Amino acid sequence: MLLEINDIHKKFGGLVALQGINFSVGYGETLGLMGANGAGKTTLFSLIAGHQEPTLGSIIFEGQKINRMRPDQISALGIARTYQIVRPFRGLSVLENVTTGALYGAHKIRSIKNASKFSREILEDVELKDRAEDLAGSLTLAGFKRLELAKALATGPKIILLDEVMAGLTPREVNEAISIIETCKRKYNLTVVVIEHVMKALMRMCERIVVLHHGEMIAEGTPGQISEDSVVIKAYLGEQN
Amino acid sequence: MKNSLKLVLAVVLCVFLAGVAGFADEYILGIGFTIFMYIALAQSWVVLSGLTGYISLGHVVFFGSGAYVFILIWGLVPVWLGVFCSGIVVGLVSLIVGYPVLRVRGPYFVILSFGLAELVKNLVLINEARMYVSMRPVFGAPALYQLYTAMLLLAIIATGLTYWIRRSRFGAGLRSIREDEEAAETIGVPVAKLKLLAFAISGVIPAMVGAIFIMRSGIFQSGDAFTPIVSFTMVTMAIIGGSDDAPGPFLGVVFLVLLQELLWVNWPEVYMIILGILLLGFVLFIPNGIYGWLSEKYFGNKKNVT
Ligand SMILES: Nc1ncnc2c1ncn2[C@@H]1O[C@H](COP(=O)(O)OP(=O)(O)OP(=O)(O)O)[C@@H](O)[C@H]1O
Ligand SMILES: [Mg+2]
Repeated sequence: MLLEINDIHKKFGGLVALQGINFSVGYGETLGLMGANGAGKTTLFSLIAGHQEPTLGSIIFEGQKINRMRPDQISALGIARTYQIVRPFRGLSVLENVTTGALYGAHKIRSIKNASKFSREILEDVELKDRAEDLAGSLTLAGFKRLELAKALATGPKIILLDEVMAGLTPREVNEAISIIETCKRKYNLTVVVIEHVMKALMRMCERIVVLHHGEMIAEGTPGQISEDSVVIKAYLGEQN
Repeated sequence: MKNSLKLVLAVVLCVFLAGVAGFADEYILGIGFTIFMYIALAQSWVVLSGLTGYISLGHVVFFGSGAYVFILIWGLVPVWLGVFCSGIVVGLVSLIVGYPVLRVRGPYFVILSFGLAELVKNLVLINEARMYVSMRPVFGAPALYQLYTAMLLLAIIATGLTYWIRRSRFGAGLRSIREDEEAAETIGVPVAKLKLLAFAISGVIPAMVGAIFIMRSGIFQSGDAFTPIVSFTMVTMAIIGGSDDAPGPFLGVVFLVLLQELLWVNWPEVYMIILGILLLGFVLFIPNGIYGWLSEKYFGNKKNVT
């Protein structure tokens, strides 16, 4: 297994954001993470990427325990995350944003020249090539989401954690995003964990889905199984409809 | 090609300025000395504050500490070795002091940096009082043309350093810290390490500048060596010129020193007022400074932060 989540608990003061989460992600897999607002999905990503420490439990990446490591060390191991609320380097150009990832991530491409070259290729993959020289702050929401993806890709990850990269996009943009993700996954040999509210997108992309509800894991299975799971329907789909 | 032309021009300028030392009078050498001093200071300030966004209002702490280290070893080692040592000592101490200091961000760092300079000033004052010294004269300092040349050298090194860091992997990391420290860490930037390095590098040259400065003034007095005016002046120069790349501080210093020569002589009372208005105007309307504005207007570089 590439990534193992073992009995993870996370408390914020009195609030239990996650409890008893157990699942693992295999090489090359696309795993979906779904759940209503506040279910704890983003918190789980923060724990994996090292921005917060679990209250209890362990996270194992390629056999190595990674909770307690710093985010930059985790990035160097080959784990990349994107932010649900985008965090571009607004005052830098789009290309500079991506180049920084290439220079410091797991790739450690040391020369600016090679990093720029590689970054341009990634910008082409995510269809932001035309905006390479523009200030990142000038992008649209769809552009920001792609930039998040590009920055993560540039670090040369083995696994990429996508936090609602399709939220707020038009149906056409969602379709484009899915095909971009799938193309990059193949091209860069990635394992993908994707949080998404857009159910159809999840069903289309994922081989397996984990469902969180109020911090607990209530189901795990193929998209087919999940869409017929009575607990999920009651807890999650029921709320949505 | 364009770059090599720039380089040739820069070399010609430096050689010319160095040559001036041979025949110029005290007045010209004095102005040159001041210009080079502030170029060296403002460029160093940019390495930390311009690139990482940790705005230091207490950069005089390096200047004063360098001067103090220098005066303590004055006479014990050859002059230029002493200058070099003050830079190294201050740089090494910064690596320790920077660790706690750089844990605070934004306005808190601004205040802390200012406070740190005041703290060190008072520590030095107390130490001097304990030894019954109120000021230390510097006897037998090198001639002005030598100090001028040394300061020119520091200005060149500082400018080259900023230019190089700005285009390096290190600089890319620093600028990402300025934009969003947490997001930078997420893509692998070891933020704590880079900030600390920038802090120390940013202190080395100002320390040497401080050492050379007291040879020119002929006296060390902690009140003067740690005066906040030096901090404010270098910040103003860097911001007015543009604090994201080496040409900025250069333009800012030349602009302000010329303005100063013009105003100080004729209307000294309005000088500080004009300086204040300029700083305010630039921060509000031209945050990228003269260089940022020029490169946007004439070279089409989209550097404006909107
Ligand atoms: N840093 C924090 N401090 C305190 N509480 C937090 C913190 N981060 C998250 N929470 C709380 O933990 C719970 C889970 O939040 P999280 O952001 O992980 O949910 P989510 O599943 O990503 O929701 P959404 O679909 O809205 O993005 C929420 O109740 C949230 O308010
Ligand atoms: Mg979330």
